[in-house]
Amino acid sequence: MPKVVTLALKEVKLSVRDVGAMVTMLVTPLVLTMAIAAAFGTGTGGLSNVPLLVLNQDDGQMSRFVWEALTAQNVEDLLAAEMVYDEADARARVEGDAAAALVIIPRGFSDRVVPVVGRVREVLGIDLLSLDAESAEALPEEVQEEIGRLVLESREPDADAVVVEIYASPNWRISAGVVRGIVTQVLEQMSMTAQGTTIIIEELIARGAPGPEAGEGGAEWFPGVADGGFESLADRELPVRVEIVSPTGRGFRWLDYSATSMAILFLMFAVTAGGRTLLAERQAGTLSRLLVSPTPAVAILAGKMGGIVVTGLMQVLVLWGATTLVGSYWGAPLGVVAAIVVLVLCASGVGALISAWAQDVGQAGTIGTAVTLVGSAVSGTFFPRWNLPAWVQNLSLATPNAWGIEIFSALQMGRGLDGILPLLGGALGLTILYYVVALIGFRRQFA
Amino acid sequence: MSLVEARNLVKRYTADGPKAVDNVSFEIRDGEIFSLLGPNGAGKTTTISMLSTLIRPTAGTALVNGYDIRTEPMAVRRSIGVVPQDLALYGKLSGRENLRFWGEMRGLGGPALWEEIDEKLALMDLTDRAGDRAETYSGGMKRRLNLAIGMLGNPPLMMLDEPTVGIDPQSRRHILDYVRELNRAGAGTLYTTHYMEEAQELSDRIGIIDRGTLIALGTLQELTQMVGEHEMLRLQLYQPEAGQALVDGVRGLEGMHQASAADGEVVLSVAAVETTLPQVLTKAADLGLSIRNVEIREPNLETVFLHLTGRALRD
Repeated sequence: MPKVVTLALKEVKLSVRDVGAMVTMLVTPLVLTMAIAAAFGTGTGGLSNVPLLVLNQDDGQMSRFVWEALTAQNVEDLLAAEMVYDEADARARVEGDAAAALVIIPRGFSDRVVPVVGRVREVLGIDLLSLDAESAEALPEEVQEEIGRLVLESREPDADAVVVEIYASPNWRISAGVVRGIVTQVLEQMSMTAQGTTIIIEELIARGAPGPEAGEGGAEWFPGVADGGFESLADRELPVRVEIVSPTGRGFRWLDYSATSMAILFLMFAVTAGGRTLLAERQAGTLSRLLVSPTPAVAILAGKMGGIVVTGLMQVLVLWGATTLVGSYWGAPLGVVAAIVVLVLCASGVGALISAWAQDVGQAGTIGTAVTLVGSAVSGTFFPRWNLPAWVQNLSLATPNAWGIEIFSALQMGRGLDGILPLLGGALGLTILYYVVALIGFRRQFA
Repeated sequence: MSLVEARNLVKRYTADGPKAVDNVSFEIRDGEIFSLLGPNGAGKTTTISMLSTLIRPTAGTALVNGYDIRTEPMAVRRSIGVVPQDLALYGKLSGRENLRFWGEMRGLGGPALWEEIDEKLALMDLTDRAGDRAETYSGGMKRRLNLAIGMLGNPPLMMLDEPTVGIDPQSRRHILDYVRELNRAGAGTLYTTHYMEEAQELSDRIGIIDRGTLIALGTLQELTQMVGEHEMLRLQLYQPEAGQALVDGVRGLEGMHQASAADGEVVLSVAAVETTLPQVLTKAADLGLSIRNVEIREPNLETVFLHLTGRALRD
C-alpha cells in the first residue's frame, strides 16, 4: 500500500476513535441544524423595501384586494410592489435577482373566491358584478330562478383550489417567505370577513333589494335561494392555495439552509482540529519518527492532509445523509458530491494554513476556533447570507463557508453540476491559495 | 566496516546562537554498542538527530552504513532503526496496529511484516496486550513498544536516544537486556544516556560529551585510566543545601583532585581516601555539617566525568 494511503488511513482511524471529535463532527451539527430549523421555520427579520412584482391576470374585484394589501400603508416600508403585465419579462427580472418575487394572481381568481359570480357567468353568460338594479329587474324570471339555484350550488366546497403563485428568487428566499405570509394573510382575511358574501349582498342591494337583510333580499330577487344561503358562504374556506415557486421549483427552508451551513461550520472545526494534529505529532515526537523513516516529507504531509480530507468527506457525507432523512434538501446528488469534495479540500486548506503557521497546538487551537467562528459569522452561517451588507458578503468570500453557502444555495434552488461550476472554480482557487501559503509556512517550520 | 563515521559535526540552531554540537568526530564499528554519555543538554540528542537525518548539520558530515547523511538521507534512513527519547506512538492504535503502521512506513509489508510483528510482540512480552490501545499500556510497556518499533526490519544500526528515561527499574532492566539481545543478533548500536551505570554496563566503547564537545572516547578501561589512581568519595549530608559550602571548604586539602556538589551529594575525587577522608570529616564538623553517609568507589565513568569537567555527571 502506498505510504500516503497508509498515513491517510491512520489519520482517519485516529479521528474515528476519538469520541470527542466524533461528537463535534457529527452529533453537534445535526442537533444544531434541527434546533435552528425548528426555531426559525421560514421566519425572517430585518427586511425592508423588498422589490416585489405583481402580475394580475384576473379581471375580477377580489384580486384588487390582494394588490391593495401588498401596497397598503402598513407594509409600504417592507414591500416595494410594482404591477407588471408581461409575465415572461417579470419572471426574467426575478431570475436576474432584480426582484425578490413575482406574485401571479391567476385568471378566474375572483370567480373562484366568489364562486357564484363565476358560475353565473359560466352557465348564463351574465356578469353578476356588472348588473345594476334596472338590468337585474329586466332579467326573465327563469333566469332569476337559475341564478338563485346557482347561488345555493356555490355552497358546495370546491374540489380544485386556484393557485396564487409566488415566483421567488432563491437569493431572496426570506423575502419570498414574507410575501407569502402577507398574501396568505390577505386571503384568510377575505375568508374571515366573508368578503364573498358581502360582495354578493352589495350587488343584490345595488339591484334594488329591500334592505340590508341580504338573505331576504336575495330570496326575493332570486326565488331559488333558501334561508341562510348567504350566511353559509361566510363560513366557507376560500378555495385558494399559495405556493412559492423558485425558478427551479424550490423555495427557502431554514432546514435546508441550516443543514448545509452547519455542515460547513463543523467541517471547519474538524479540519482545523485535524490540522492541529500535525503540531501535536511534532510535540509528541511521532512526526520526528516519521521524518527519520524512509518516507519523503512531502508524502508525510500529503498523507496527513489526505487523512483530514477523507475524514472531512466522511463527516459531510454522513451529515448529508442524516439531514436528508429528516427532510432536508441539499440539491442534485451529483452537484452535492462535487460541492462536498471541493469544499472539504478548501476547508482542509484552512487547516493546513493554520498548522503551518501556528507555533504550537494551543495557538493553533485558538486561531482555528477564531477563524472558524468569525468566518462562519461573516459568511451567513447563523442567518441568511443575503441579509449581510454587500461588502461583508464579498469579504467573506475569503472563507470556505461563504463559498459553501453560495454553492449549496445554488444547488438548493435547483441548479445542477454545470450551474455551479463557476462557484466550484472559485472555491478551488481559494483552496490553491490556502495551500500555497501553507506550504511556505511548512517549509519555514519543518525545513 | 564502520557503521558510523562522524566527521567534525557542528550544529547551531540559529545563525548566531551557541553550538549545540561542536566539532564532534567518532566512529562506531560493526556490531559494537557505542554509548554517548553526558548530562542533559550536552548535545547527545542533537548528535543522534543529525546522524538519523532528522536535522542537517551546520558543518561537518557523517557516513552512516556508508551513506552520507547530507547527500543520501533516504538511504541512511532505510539502513537504521531509531528509538526516540519521546514515546513516539499513537495511543489510539493498538500495539499491533502501531507496529504495522511503523513497519509500513519503513517500507515493510506482507506476510514478512506480520511475522515480524508477532516476533517483536513476543520479544517485548506484549503479545497478550497486542490488541489493546497503546494509551492503556503502562509506562514500561509503552517504552518496550517504542523500542520494538525501532527494531522493525532488523536494521544493521540502531540509534537509541535515552530509551530508559522515566521508567521503573524493572522495565529499565528489560530494555537493557533487549539492547544486549539486539547486539548479540549482530546489530550495531548508538546508545545515548545520562546514566553512567547504563553506559558502563552496555557499552563496548563510550564517548563522553559535555556542552556539545566530545571530551573523551574509549573503552571503560581506557577512560578510567585517564583518572589515574584517583578514587571517588560520595558524601550525603543531613544539610543537602550546604553541599557547595563543603566543596568550597575541602578544595585546598592535600590529595584533593576534584570536588563537586549536586542533588544534595558531594562528590570528591581524591588521591588517597585514607588520608583525605579524615580531613573532609573534620572540615564538615568545622562547618557544622553532619554526614549522613559516605561511599567510597573505585574509579568509574562518574570519576572520569568529574576529572574531566570538574562537575558531577548529574550537574
